[in-house]
Formats: sequence, C-alpha cells, structure tokens
Amino acid sequence: MTTLMGTDAPFAVSVRGVNMVFDGVHAVRDATFDLEKGRFLTILGPSGSGKTTLLRMIAGFGKPTSGEVFINGLAVGSVPPHRRSIGMVFQKLALFPHMTAAENVAFPLRMRRFDARTIPDRVQRYLDLVKLGKLGDRRIHELSGGQQQRVAIARALVFEPDLLLLDEPLAALDRKLREEMQLEFRRIQRELDVTTINVTHDQREALVVSDEIIVMDHGRIQQKARPEATYRQPSNAFVANFIGVTNFIDGMVTAVDGDTIAFDRPGLAGRPGNGFRPLVGMAARGALRAEQIRIAGGREALGDVDTVFEGAVTDAIFEGERVVYEVTVPDLDGAALRVFDHDPVAHSQHEVGAAVAVGWNARDVLVFGD
Amino acid sequence: MDALEAVAAALWPRRLSSAVPWLMLLPAVVLTGLLVLGLWEMADGSFRTLDTATFLPSDDYSFANYHRAFTEKLFVTVASRSLIGSLIVTAATLVLAFPYSYVMVRTRSAALRKFLLIALFLPFFIGQVVRAYGWLIILGSQGMVNEALGLVGVAPIRLLYNYPAVLFGLVQYMLPFAVLMLAPALTAIPEEMESAAGSLGANWVRTFVHVVLPMAKPGFIGAGLVVLTLSLTDFAIPAILGGGSQDFIANAIYDQFFRTSDQGMGATLALLLVAVGSIMVGVVFALFGAGTLAMGRKP
Repeated sequence: MTTLMGTDAPFAVSVRGVNMVFDGVHAVRDATFDLEKGRFLTILGPSGSGKTTLLRMIAGFGKPTSGEVFINGLAVGSVPPHRRSIGMVFQKLALFPHMTAAENVAFPLRMRRFDARTIPDRVQRYLDLVKLGKLGDRRIHELSGGQQQRVAIARALVFEPDLLLLDEPLAALDRKLREEMQLEFRRIQRELDVTTINVTHDQREALVVSDEIIVMDHGRIQQKARPEATYRQPSNAFVANFIGVTNFIDGMVTAVDGDTIAFDRPGLAGRPGNGFRPLVGMAARGALRAEQIRIAGGREALGDVDTVFEGAVTDAIFEGERVVYEVTVPDLDGAALRVFDHDPVAHSQHEVGAAVAVGWNARDVLVFGD
Repeated sequence: MDALEAVAAALWPRRLSSAVPWLMLLPAVVLTGLLVLGLWEMADGSFRTLDTATFLPSDDYSFANYHRAFTEKLFVTVASRSLIGSLIVTAATLVLAFPYSYVMVRTRSAALRKFLLIALFLPFFIGQVVRAYGWLIILGSQGMVNEALGLVGVAPIRLLYNYPAVLFGLVQYMLPFAVLMLAPALTAIPEEMESAAGSLGANWVRTFVHVVLPMAKPGFIGAGLVVLTLSLTDFAIPAILGGGSQDFIANAIYDQFFRTSDQGMGATLALLLVAVGSIMVGVVFALFGAGTLAMGRKP
C-alpha cells in the first residue's frame, strides 16, 4: 500500500492530482488538497461542478481515472467502500425501509462485526446524540423528514469512522428545518471531533457550517479557504459571483499605482484580487458586493465614499430586513447594479424610476483578469 | 358541445355520476362471474360418477370421484409430480431470473438493456407449443445436441420424455414471466441503498442478503406466485416434452374430459386443482400479507 511521504502527522484526507473522466466528460480535473483531522470541509459548487463526483471517489464509489486519494496517509485507490472507515449521509438518506430506526443504526455495527453484546448500548448512545432517544422502535416511514436526517447521521457515525461524508443530505428540506439541521451537523461534528466533508450548492450552508470551503466549477477546484476568506478574498470572478451577490464592471486597466488599479472610466478604481498582476491595457473585471454599495437620493446624502455614480432605480424588491434595488447607471454603459439597502430605521424606499446616487469605496472593488 | 352535454345529462343524470366507477368495474365482474357459473356447474358434475353402461353421468350424488382422486395411484402420482415439479420450477426460475433482472435494471449500457429486453420478449411471440416443439428439434434423439455428441463419439442420450426435460422446459417458459415481475421491484430499490450498505461495511453478499433481498420481497413473492400457479396448471410442456409419460394435473383433466369422457372425474380433478392453487396463494398472502405484493395503499 502506498503511503503519502513527507509528513509525520498525515492529513485525514489528501487528494493528489485526481481526475475523473466518464463517457468523455471530464468531471473532476486535477483536484489536489489536504484536510487536517477534525476539520469540517465543505465542497461548494453549482450542479455539474464535479463536487459530488469528488466526494464519491473519496467514499470509494468510483475509482479516479488518474491521481490518488489518501486517508490517514494511506492510498485507498484499491480499497472498496465497505473496507474504508467512512460514514456517509446520502442525498436521499438511503435509510433501509424494512428496518426500524434502531436497526438502521445497528446495521453498520452488525456488518462490521462489532461485539453483539455492546451493540444495543452503542445504538442507544448515538440515538441519544441525535436526540432520537425514544424513537428507536419507529419504522423509517413513521419518522418526520428531520428525524430521518437524524437517523441517517447516527447510522453514519455509530461505528466511529475516520471520516464523515455528507452528500447534500439537506437539499430536500424546507429552509427552516435545513438551517436547524446545519447547526445540528456543526454541533455533532464538534462534539465527536470527526473529520467531515460536506457537499452542497448552498453558499449560506457552506459559510455557516464549515472550517474550510472548497469552491468547485467545471471540475476544477477554484479556491480552498476559510469561509471568511472565501467571502472577502475570492480568488477569481467565479467564486466572487457564486458566493454572495456580486456586481461586475468590465473595463480596461488605465493606470496601476501600488494596490490601486484605475479603470478606463473616470473615478472608477479597485484593488487587485488574489493573484492578479495588472498591467496597463489589460482587460479587467471589477467585482463589487451588493451590500458594499450605498444608495441615496443625492450625492451629498451618500456620506464618505470615494466613488459615486448617478443612476435611476429600475427595480425595488422589499425583502423584509432589506430592500434590493436595481440601479441603472448611464456612465457605466447602462450597467444595472444590484444594491442591498439595510436601513430599517430610516426606511425611505426609493421608487422605481427615481433618480438616485450610488457610491462605494475603491478598496471594496476587487479586480480580476477576466 | 352544449347540445352534447345536454344529451349526456339526459341519458346519465349528474346525481348518478358517483356510480360511474362501479359501472366501469362491471364488465370485469361479469366476466369473472361467468367463470364462477361454470365452476358451479362443474361442482355439480364432480359429485356424479360415470355410468359405464350408458356413458352418462349418474343421477345420484356421491363422493366417489373425490375418493378415487385421493386413492388411485395414477392421480396421486400425477398430483405429486405436478406439485413437486412446480415447486422446483419456481425455485429454479427465481434463482435464474434474479441476476437477469438485476443486470437489466442496473446496467449503465442502454444497448445491453435493450438486448436483454428483446431476448425476454421474443419467446412471448413464439408461443408455448412452438417453443416446446423447438426443444424436440434440439433435444431429440436425432436432434442437434445428440448430433454434436455423436461427433465426439458419444452414443445418443435420451434427453426427452422424462421429468427433467419437462422441468427444464417449464423453467425456460417461466423465466420471462419471473423477470418481468422482478424488474419493477428491483427498479423500486434506489441504487443509493446499495451504496449505503457498502459504505456501512456490507460486502456485496451481505448487501444482497440484508438489503436487496428484503426490499425486493414483493417482487419475489409476486413472481413466485405467478410461476407456481402457471407451472402447476401447465398443459403443453408436460404433454410435448413429457411425451405422455410425465403428465401434470392439466393433462390428466384433459384425458378425463376428452379421452375417457368422464366429465365427473375431470370436474373433480379441476376443482381440486383450483383448491390447491387457492390454498397456496392464500398461505402466501397470510404469511406475507397482500401488501407485500405492492398492492393496496402505501403506509
């Protein structure tokens, strides 16, 4: 068995140059990352980004076309799923309908030949952990959606696997239950200190539950960073667009002064995004979060911002805690900027058609190559 | 349209509309009911013995036919041959049908799935008698198998007109039925279930025993019942591949009705066959519940 050289304390998971091609589709391209023990990693991406394919390869369902997956420093390429120490919660949960909740939780213990005398106690302990202590005798169809989630979690964890994999199990839940379960995942993961990889397309979930986030698109890892860094320093325009609501302003670099990049539009400037080396004349995209734009009836009311444009409100959506505006700015080739206005105190909503001023600070504009 | 609706309303007033579903049920009920009438007539005949002098059924009733059916060696042999045979055929067919339907349902290759489906349906177009005759051509003493054996110097073997030949023919005939009944049951098991069992530590054997088999139970029971009743009551294959020496109950009934013209004895055997079949189906339902056949409402 191959081991990953060069580290004394191996990572819980190491993925090295993994590719997956099936039916001519390159689902995962050259994926490489390490995950420390006890961390909660979320792989975030749109559908078809390769995130589930990557997770399934770690679980052992599907062998990489090339590259290698290491678990605790050991290459697992030829180890079938049932010999890996991995608990997995599936998208549709895959609870066994012909068994009770407790029998479902006992299943991995029986399959892994745990001492039969210890099984009932252990099953009860894990049912307690997921707050289902009294519902062990219920059949699966007698449990609510949230309770079924909890059975699936207990079943995946009861044999104390080295690694817990979550394949979008929350996708089908309604919003309130989903947010409750996100916090439950976090609580249980911290309580047991189990290394966890979660797959989701829900950016909010990724930010809430994770120690680290990998953003994937078109089979490639776009960024691996802590949630705050993923949000504040996206490594490219895709990540900036996928997480949060981002406006893009396309233009050409006209001047570079230290960390300030001037665009070909008067007054427009920004700072370079991760790894971007701007040169005068290069095409560039400025990325600006909707919540970093201020909106007011006139220039004076905007307060202290260094970039100001005038425009007209073309849409105003009241979302309760905020108003989302679409402001069309003639000086930016008629670009429609999305603006979040969180001002519950002086709530003076601008009407559609009203002339407004929008402003922001140049340091909030991240400039990417394209 | 209004005129049409007016006519419809006149012919079938709205207050009767709740009767429509029952009305649609009627043809099937009538058809089944007619069969019951026939059975009633046969029940009557089964208590009359054949008068060998006049070749007419007797006027008085007796249990003589039933007594004969349970005591005469011929009938006991035929009955046990059919019962044991149909049980063996059912077991063998289910064992062979499972991998076939499993591959058909789970394969990622559309071409393989099509091939398996066509291979499944082709025998249906041929019909039972022609198929049995086909086996005569292949397995006969001058058939293809014996010719091939002759090429390597083996003397012709009697492959036909024995019990194994009949069972073989029945299994081959029943296989498509069993596959067709099993496939939907296997389709209903999400592939994720098997992946889950794998990740929880079950190898493929234990996944099969603990997950696939219990979840496919309705399919196995349905397929088993169909194969059991069809092979228990089969006529053509025992007749053709058994060559008269391997009669099943249906063949014995045929002989009573059309050879010895003993209507009463034929009716007795027919009713006993109905009774045995019903009891077996009833036992399966009692053991597993009609719900396991995926009938009735989901819990």
